[in-house]
Amino acid sequence: MNQRITIPIGPQHPSLKEPGCFTITLEGEKVVSAVVGVGYNHRGLEKACEARTYIQDMYLIERVCGICSHTHSTAFCQAVEALAGVEISRRAAYIRVIMAELERLHSHLLWLGVAGHEIGFDTLLMYSWRDREKVLDALALLGGNRVNYGINTIGGVRRDISPSECEQLRSMLDFIEEEDKYFIDLALHESTLAARLGGIGRLSYEDALRLGAVGPVARASGVPTDIRVIEKYAAYDEFPMEVITDEHSDVFGRAVVRVKEIMESIKLIRFALDNLPDGELKVNVPRRIPEGEVLSRTEAPRGEDIHYVRSNGTDKPDRVRVRAASEANWHSVAHMLEGDYLADVPIIIAAIDPCYSCTDRAIVLDHRDTGCQQVLDWEALRRYSVDFYRERGFDAKSIKIPERKIIR
Amino acid sequence: MLAALFHILIFPGLLFLMAYSLFFDFVDRKIYARLQNRTGPRWYQPLADFLKLLGKETIIPDHAAKKIFTFLPIVSMAAIAAAYLYIPLFLPESLYPFDGDLIVVLYLLTIPTVCFFLAGWFSTSVFATIGAVRTLTQLFSYEVPLFMALLAPALLADTWSLSGITAYYSQHPFYLLLNIPAFLVAIIACQGKLDRVPFDLSEAETELASGTFVEYSGRYYAIFRLAIDCELVVVSSLIAAVYLPMHSDSLLLGIVIYVLETLLILFILALIRTIMARIRIEQMVVLCWKYLTPIALLQIIANLLLKGVL
Amino acid sequence: MGAEERVVARILERFPVLEGRVFIQKQQRVVVDYLVRRDFEKVLDFLAHDAGFTTFHLVIGVDNGDALGFIYVLSNEENVMLLLKEKAPKSKPYISSVCDIFPNALWHERELVDLFGAVVENLPPGPRYPLPDLWPAGNYPMRKEWNPAYLDKKTMTYNPPAAVDPAEGGESK
Repeated sequence: MNQRITIPIGPQHPSLKEPGCFTITLEGEKVVSAVVGVGYNHRGLEKACEARTYIQDMYLIERVCGICSHTHSTAFCQAVEALAGVEISRRAAYIRVIMAELERLHSHLLWLGVAGHEIGFDTLLMYSWRDREKVLDALALLGGNRVNYGINTIGGVRRDISPSECEQLRSMLDFIEEEDKYFIDLALHESTLAARLGGIGRLSYEDALRLGAVGPVARASGVPTDIRVIEKYAAYDEFPMEVITDEHSDVFGRAVVRVKEIMESIKLIRFALDNLPDGELKVNVPRRIPEGEVLSRTEAPRGEDIHYVRSNGTDKPDRVRVRAASEANWHSVAHMLEGDYLADVPIIIAAIDPCYSCTDRAIVLDHRDTGCQQVLDWEALRRYSVDFYRERGFDAKSIKIPERKIIR
Repeated sequence: MLAALFHILIFPGLLFLMAYSLFFDFVDRKIYARLQNRTGPRWYQPLADFLKLLGKETIIPDHAAKKIFTFLPIVSMAAIAAAYLYIPLFLPESLYPFDGDLIVVLYLLTIPTVCFFLAGWFSTSVFATIGAVRTLTQLFSYEVPLFMALLAPALLADTWSLSGITAYYSQHPFYLLLNIPAFLVAIIACQGKLDRVPFDLSEAETELASGTFVEYSGRYYAIFRLAIDCELVVVSSLIAAVYLPMHSDSLLLGIVIYVLETLLILFILALIRTIMARIRIEQMVVLCWKYLTPIALLQIIANLLLKGVL
Repeated sequence: MGAEERVVARILERFPVLEGRVFIQKQQRVVVDYLVRRDFEKVLDFLAHDAGFTTFHLVIGVDNGDALGFIYVLSNEENVMLLLKEKAPKSKPYISSVCDIFPNALWHERELVDLFGAVVENLPPGPRYPLPDLWPAGNYPMRKEWNPAYLDKKTMTYNPPAAVDPAEGGESK
């Protein structure tokens, strides 16, 4: 069949959770060319940052992305702290690390589920998202929110971790560790998974370097790039770190890297909980930040986040530039898609764990229109959601989810 | 005349088929959900979905061939309902048995697949067109092993009628064990017919939105969905009739046996759906032609040889 | 001698005129101060092909009042981040594309075109990014003088008050 068909994947498509447009030209079922179109989510965040004070920007930056919100705010805070010339306490740095690794846990589990869904393996989606709930609960416990935890502040962190919270975290980690062992086993030995993921979306070591791939995508091509090791920001200099790489250079390799990184993150959180130093949570940072510019990097679950902040001596930044991990990985996607089957397009796109909002650096908030001032604490919110569904005939209490007994 | 109408339209014909298919859909979804640690739907959920779809706005694309577009759901539903009449369900004989009804049932079951292809083709949307092409590719890969696997037991029984198969295997129940390879081939191949994971390529939500049916909405889509549910019942019944022909002369006992048999097959199908990922179209073609077809062919040869011996 | 000093020495060895304009900002950060286009191209060529700066991270557009600044962030295998700065006057914001050296610069340069109004020569063709197609021409939102309050989101026109010089803000279509 020589006739070429051009099909648009997106901006509205069930396999894309956010708007992006991939114009795929097909020859039969084979992809001959792919054009990536993003930009649907541009909401002018960088401009908005220039009109707000640093502390307001911090909350704005946290909303660049729903999944990797903590790394973005960490990067921004680091930049402002470097400009102001303050050093945060070790305890605050450790808490930042704990949150960042919890975030990585939940992001990777989320990715695993999405990947399962993209290849029509919904069971994997249900399993990994069930486990991800535990991580989200832990994040809610520590930060008060399931996403956008708001734990960072310029000069430190806002909330402490109490010993009882540490214990709850540990029990959550034990659960995730057991589950992740199962996922690793599944990823390495399940035959349909290997048949669907192996050999597609190839990105060689040279191409990964040339196209500037970051994060798990680069590591799955054998490039040992990890900003946590390179920059040793926050408290990572004290942590025993192992960079997970894989030589498969395909979607399968990316899956393996991610499930193994879950294990690595669990180790890091355990280490942080064991060695949590004492100290102040926050040091004071002046409202006016002296003139200067700084480039701050963090390792988000999806790869390298770069924040550039330039100050001009006032309480508002002169320029904020955010480069999220997905933005760096788009260049690889078009390359990876070519020559593969249409059936593999969604999983290849999903394999970089794309985040369109991150790429387009989004959000303009309009506070004036929010008339709702109801503040609910976590338990009240949970009760509200249970009641909400019970009124509609669905009683969540009737579901018995076994703690460790899982149907396999 | 009245009795015939009753049989065709109400029991065990159209109405029973529809009701049972909705129940079947519920069981399928429930098993699927429970295997995934979810709660699953209530028993009336398939009916609620069906009624809701009936009430939705029906949109027909401008470029679509309207007559065919609206006609196809009904044709596929009719073909499936007709096939159901020729399968022995509760009693050893079907409603209108004749020699060769097995072949007729198989061909009637091909009509819905062709309808799905035409539905996708005449929708004139790119997603639907690709889904339609995939439907045909799929048809060419699973149809041969499925036919051969279903004909092998008939060859051993030396009859082309489903009632004859039932009668033969009632006399020699142990010969059923000879057909186990064909049974496995049929179970795998019928997933392609039923558009279920791992062979749901023509629908493939994440790639093609919903493939062939992407332009269908409202009541036409509702009828298509119902036809797909009914197809599940008919194929399960057919497999039960060919490979597990255990019928009783008492109607009540017959119904119990029938329900148990079909639910067993449904459970196997749901299990496969749970533990598998969707495979690619070329992987499916390879699987069907490289593995399933030779196994089915061997079964036929073995059955022909055995017939001489037995 | 640390990796940063080696980088500075290497650049100064090749371009002695840059004495005093290349400095170590902090650990792993080396800054080359604003260069004009001709010098910038020479330095970039040297860095990419001879000095081992093979990884391109991003380009940051900045508004320096009457000039636009473009900060190219490169790194080498020793993970030294180099902030290579280029400047161009706002009235003639011509720069050349670096896509032939670093293919992943494409989206970043398109962003400079849309948000800063830079004219990037030899930029490969493609869709605009990130602004919508109906964005009023001549409006570059990341320039300091552009104020989001004056954008009418219904008609997608930019209507600065009369006090603002219309030539600065840009006319609507």
